Amino acid sequence: MLSTKFSPMSKEEVDRKWWEIGDFFRRNSLWMLMYCTGCCAIELPPAMTSAYDMERLGMGPMATPRQADVLLVTGYLSLKTLRRLIYTYEQMSEPKYVVGFGSCTINGGIYHDSHAVINQLNKYVPVDVFVAGCMPNTESVMNGFIDLMDLIKNKKANGWKDYHERNDWYKANQKAALGEVKIHDEFHE
Amino acid sequence: MTVELLIILTLVLGLVSYFMGRFNKVYGAVVTIIASMFVFISVGYMANDILDGSTFNYNAVKYLPVFATFTVSYLGIFFAILVTFVFAMVSFFNPFFVEKYKYPAVYNMLYIFSLAGVLGVFFTDNLMVLFFFFEFVVWSGLFIIPLGKSKKAAVSYYAFSTAGSFALLYAIFIMRDVAGTYNLYAGLASVSGTTQGTYVMILLSISAFSKLGAFPLHTWLPAAHGNAPHPFSPVLSGALVKLGAFVAILALVKLAPVGDLQSVFGSYTDATFLYASQYAVAILGAMTIVFGTLMAIRQDDAKKLLAYSSVSNGGYILVALSIGGSVGLAGGLYHIIAHALASAAAFLAIGAVSRVTGTSKMSELGGMIHKMPITYMVYLIAIISMAGIPPMGGFISKWLIFQAVIDNGLILIAVAVFFGSIGSFLYVFRPLAALFLGQELPQHKDKAKIPPFFMLLPMIILSLLIVYTGVFPNYILGFINDVMAELGVDALVIGKYTIQGPNGVLHPTLVASVFGVGVLIAFIIFIVLKKSRKVGLMDTYTAGNFIYTEELMHYSLDFYAPIERLYEKYINITEDFYKKLENKVVDFGRMVKYFFFTNKPEVTVFWIVVIIGFLLWGDL
Amino acid sequence: MVDMLLMILAGVGVALFGFVLQTSIAGVNRKIVGRIQKRYGPKWYQEFLDIFKLLSKRSVTHGWIFDFGVIMALGGIIGTAMFMPITSSLMAFPGYDNFFIFVYLIAVGMLGMAMSASGSGNPLASIGVMRALTTMLAYEVPFMIVVLTIIKLTGTSSLSELGILQQAGGDFNWFVIALPLGGIVAVISLMGMLGKKPFVTYIAPAEIASGPMVEYGGKQLGMLFIMHEITVFIEVSLFVHLFLGGAENILFFIIKYFAVYTALNIMSSVYGRLKIDQVVLFFYKWPLILAVTQAFIAIYLGWVI
Ligand code: SF4
Repeated sequence: MLSTKFSPMSKEEVDRKWWEIGDFFRRNSLWMLMYCTGCCAIELPPAMTSAYDMERLGMGPMATPRQADVLLVTGYLSLKTLRRLIYTYEQMSEPKYVVGFGSCTINGGIYHDSHAVINQLNKYVPVDVFVAGCMPNTESVMNGFIDLMDLIKNKKANGWKDYHERNDWYKANQKAALGEVKIHDEFHE
Repeated sequence: MTVELLIILTLVLGLVSYFMGRFNKVYGAVVTIIASMFVFISVGYMANDILDGSTFNYNAVKYLPVFATFTVSYLGIFFAILVTFVFAMVSFFNPFFVEKYKYPAVYNMLYIFSLAGVLGVFFTDNLMVLFFFFEFVVWSGLFIIPLGKSKKAAVSYYAFSTAGSFALLYAIFIMRDVAGTYNLYAGLASVSGTTQGTYVMILLSISAFSKLGAFPLHTWLPAAHGNAPHPFSPVLSGALVKLGAFVAILALVKLAPVGDLQSVFGSYTDATFLYASQYAVAILGAMTIVFGTLMAIRQDDAKKLLAYSSVSNGGYILVALSIGGSVGLAGGLYHIIAHALASAAAFLAIGAVSRVTGTSKMSELGGMIHKMPITYMVYLIAIISMAGIPPMGGFISKWLIFQAVIDNGLILIAVAVFFGSIGSFLYVFRPLAALFLGQELPQHKDKAKIPPFFMLLPMIILSLLIVYTGVFPNYILGFINDVMAELGVDALVIGKYTIQGPNGVLHPTLVASVFGVGVLIAFIIFIVLKKSRKVGLMDTYTAGNFIYTEELMHYSLDFYAPIERLYEKYINITEDFYKKLENKVVDFGRMVKYFFFTNKPEVTVFWIVVIIGFLLWGDL
Repeated sequence: MVDMLLMILAGVGVALFGFVLQTSIAGVNRKIVGRIQKRYGPKWYQEFLDIFKLLSKRSVTHGWIFDFGVIMALGGIIGTAMFMPITSSLMAFPGYDNFFIFVYLIAVGMLGMAMSASGSGNPLASIGVMRALTTMLAYEVPFMIVVLTIIKLTGTSSLSELGILQQAGGDFNWFVIALPLGGIVAVISLMGMLGKKPFVTYIAPAEIASGPMVEYGGKQLGMLFIMHEITVFIEVSLFVHLFLGGAENILFFIIKYFAVYTALNIMSSVYGRLKIDQVVLFFYKWPLILAVTQAFIAIYLGWVI
């Protein structure tokens, strides 16, 4: 219970302050979960190792969605992997961010007319930053991360909130692409 | 109430429970509760009197033959109060398990009979009476064990116990021969330090080893403990095995050790040496520790696992008693208490689980914590004590044993002792992870529920006592000091809250409270932070795969496979030895039968006459 | 009563000091390892950022045992750290810094973490715990034998007294030099304790998705990170006090601590990983033989440099 006499801040303001402090930590320590579906993934090793060294931004790879803050979707997503991607995204702890790599995630890229892949990633999960290019070079990947940090700083990286608010819309899109998510495969009968 | 009257009353109650059990199963089991509580309280009164120094005569004999003398010593009281307490606690489980036996009335009667036998062993000072009650306990157990899962277990229990009993009997004969009396203390005193003393020590050690399940006489113990009825396993492991410790104290503390190595090697080095007999027993104890640990790691049945842990803990008791001295002996005696409480609680917890699920195999169980949280906590506290982690009782005794081992510079034994202590983390964790934690398996989801109050009660009392022995050990250590004074060993130095070892001071209360402070801080950190979102157990990281089968997400089979691989080739050596021995005995029996018990009685008679003649040759 | 409370407060101070010290040094070490790999490396306070970020996130929980285990883990480790002497005269509970308390009280924390990990219901977590326990079985025994030698020779198991005894004999009476074989064993065991390569078997990000940590995120993971930092503080300080002559003052302590931790990190960054059974076999071969030889030489022959 905060004493109101000495701190005239309302509860919202206090919360906002805490949130800003939290944002400082969050943008300086982004842990990634790499969902290496497409060829854009090849840009990540140089970004991580000594050439560009993303650790100096406080970023690093993580093993599971629970631990990670930012989901990297590196390229095209087939319908089969989309289902897994959504599952993984929902397992991440909030606040969580998504970075889409390459033209494949923006509009389908060279696979835009394929029957097996989705074209627009942000119809299914909220994407905070897109890195354009086919494939994007490493500088732009790094640039994309710095953009994400700026968005977090300016409180604009709100995709995860959007996923709560427009959940019906996302779910409807997911359903339209995948059908009812009911798995009956050979392992589970 | 004299000891004699108590034993007779107990036996009568046993018969009452039998007839009650014939009339109604559950009532018969309730009689066992009443009987064992009654015995425990009576022994408690005795302990109270003996501590007050009052001189009430418990030793009078009126109804039994005069040679059946009794005496209430500190040592006897120490064991009796512990064992009757375990009996009393476990008896609460009896009414809930009677349905499962073929002969519930017999079970009740034998349960009380073995209690009576135990009283007789601890309170008599007559060697033949000791032997009689010793056998009485063995026989009661012999008929209870087959009521559980396996008949073979009872046979091997009987075989090893008989070996122990015969060793005891021969020791008694030697003592009788030397001392001219059947008095226990006079007998031990008269042989102590002589050549016969060595024989007596070896024979008594065999007896103790077989009862305690120590290497190499351990094979019966896991079979018997693992297969006995669920409420009898805790009694076996927490109480009856302690008969072996009692005999071991007679052999190792009451008799002077033999084989003076100090005079042989002492001139070459500054280091001090123990006696050869102490080394011998300590090495066997160390082997018991290692062997029990390795076997416990690879068991699948939770009860067998705990049984092997009893083997390993028996090894600790032997090591401690053989080193002796005030620290070693106090450590051994404290370990007897700590292990009795912990193992009884752990067995009861597993028993409670298998009552509802019908199995104690870890590979068939999982996630019991969600329906049986209190049982889980009981098991957790028990294993913390068993692994020797503060703030539970097991830590105090292990600390004392480590002090004794280090103080005597026993390097190789220390390897075993430390190995067993770390190894115990491994094996006690396994039922925790595989049986209580992990995925909640659907086949047990509906059946599992919180056990009835009267099953929880003894488990909770035992858990509280385990914590008490770990936080405030000094009252009990004071009593142990009395026991040690009676045994002629210097007292352990204890302060109000502290224990003084040869190379350090322990303040268990401080350790426990600092641990509490740490947990409090962690709790505050936890509670001020944002509340977590609750998700189901199946919502786990699966690399994006959808899995709906709980079994596939539960890791319980071959838990320690990487380390088991390293030694699984060598584990059957002792079993194979006993198998071979068994075959030899059977062959020998066939031969005897072939020669002596032929179809012609005159041949048999002839041989009998020849053998008797041979045996009496010198005397005629 | 009041001085008891003061002692406990001092103990909390020690734990906090250990946390801050180790977290900073771990950050610096990440930079050093970065330089070894020809990278720039993160900020030196990156570890703090990571931990506070985790604490600020909203995590998931898998039931009460998942949370309770984490609390028990952190609580046990904080409790252990409270006993740790910083210099040979500066500690919260003088006289009670018994070696065995550290070895066994630390186990409560480990048990809490293992319990919580298994309680998450993820099989990978149980596998990780199994590996962690197996590794512990490997490195602990040789280390304890070396410590047995020290305790037997000096007749005390109090860390601060051991430190003072070593200081009394001059700087090169440190046990790492006086008992050279034991010193080697202790360094190897310390690498196992800290989970440094080649003995890191239980955190395998690609194989079992970081083992025990697999289901943690947010505050639970943050608390386990704090626990990990304090654990490292306890283990490295144990080494400093037992083998490097303790510390006369706080500066020496920090220097020795930094030297040990950095040296181990540099060593570890050039190794690959062993399998679990290889770890066990390794520790029960050379380190154990060396430790037992050292103990025999020192106790029975009295050869101490
Ligand atoms: S954007 Fe280009 S490089 Fe990236 S995944 Fe699509 S096709 Fe491959």
